[in-house]
Amino acid sequence: MMSKKTGRSNRSVVTARRGPSLTMIVGIVVVLLFAGVVGFGVYRTQHQSGSGAIPTNATASGVTVGQASAPATVDIYLDFQCPVCNEYEKQSGPTLDGLIASGAAKVVYHPLAFLDRFSSTKYSTRASEAAGCIAQDGPAVFARYLKVLYANQPPENGDGLPESQLISLGQQAGAGPNFAGCVSANTFAGWTAALTDAASKAGIDATPTVEVNGKQIDNTDAALRQAVQAAK
Amino acid sequence: MTAVGATFEARGPAWNWLSTLGRLVLGGIWIAAGVSKITDLDASVRAVRAYRILPELAAQLVGAGLPAVELLLGVLLLVGAGVRACAAVSAVLMAVYMVGIASAWVRGLQIDCGCFGGGGGLAAGVRPSYGWELTRDAGLLVLAVLLARWPVGPFAVDGILAARREESGR
Repeated sequence: MMSKKTGRSNRSVVTARRGPSLTMIVGIVVVLLFAGVVGFGVYRTQHQSGSGAIPTNATASGVTVGQASAPATVDIYLDFQCPVCNEYEKQSGPTLDGLIASGAAKVVYHPLAFLDRFSSTKYSTRASEAAGCIAQDGPAVFARYLKVLYANQPPENGDGLPESQLISLGQQAGAGPNFAGCVSANTFAGWTAALTDAASKAGIDATPTVEVNGKQIDNTDAALRQAVQAAK
Repeated sequence: MTAVGATFEARGPAWNWLSTLGRLVLGGIWIAAGVSKITDLDASVRAVRAYRILPELAAQLVGAGLPAVELLLGVLLLVGAGVRACAAVSAVLMAVYMVGIASAWVRGLQIDCGCFGGGGGLAAGVRPSYGWELTRDAGLLVLAVLLARWPVGPFAVDGILAARREESGR
């Protein structure tokens, strides 16, 4: 009886010195892992809910402007919230227009939603979805919308453009009658999510990223001209 | 009396307060890191992908799972529940982060660590700040190790539980 009691009190002192019991430590690790698995579950659920609709005149990864037979393919990974993408368009937009017109290159625009956290309204996602909607009215209208969106680019860390303005700018660029409804219904939310994910998986970390025939080039006009010239 | 002394360890009260302060700092940083990422799990997964270490499914698991883990760690540390275990897990995580950042540096990747949100991409013209990121995480690693060694301070759930255990054990 006596020895049993001593043994017990000894153990209690040891436990106290070592702090929490092993059960506590295991419990905390299990709870933390559980939290992580819940996060993973939420992520996977979000990614399954996207509808698979792809805009007409677009592919799963973007919108192509120019002749399919053009020898050079310029891939532009952009985000409508990204100021440097806007600068790139100002710098090389005319060059790209010329290359498209001459048939030297076709341009695949990938409107990514990388910078959602730089607006309170996930402007990157909404603008990309709207770009998908306008692609249905043809690549030329899409190309005009791209320029109009850049010209009206909202500042970072603001509220983005409201939906009404995304729609009115589209109409300014020549959108058809279905555009407004398409934007309001977030028709291409799944498309935007999928093309953003695809770019990330392909190793695109930042916008703008420009590739010519699959090879990344510097974001200068000279590099663009040179790479397209070399692709002939 | 002696049992309580053993629980709270025989150090001066100032040292106990330092433990609490360290707990609040580490917990606060975990919460800031978790909150900045949990609202955009996609960006968090992209940030993990940008390191180009983990295969796709593992990157998704880490990227989407870590924000919740960090947030919970932060809350547990702030309230002082399971401080030693949380500090030990914090130390392990910090060590893993440092390995990841150092590896990105060695391989010459141009990325942001994604520690406080963001998809891992750097804005154009911005250079990576691996040195600062490593220094910061090293400091937090040391803090976590110290906290694992001296987890007991005032205002902790652990303290309340320990006191109650002593009560019932008497």
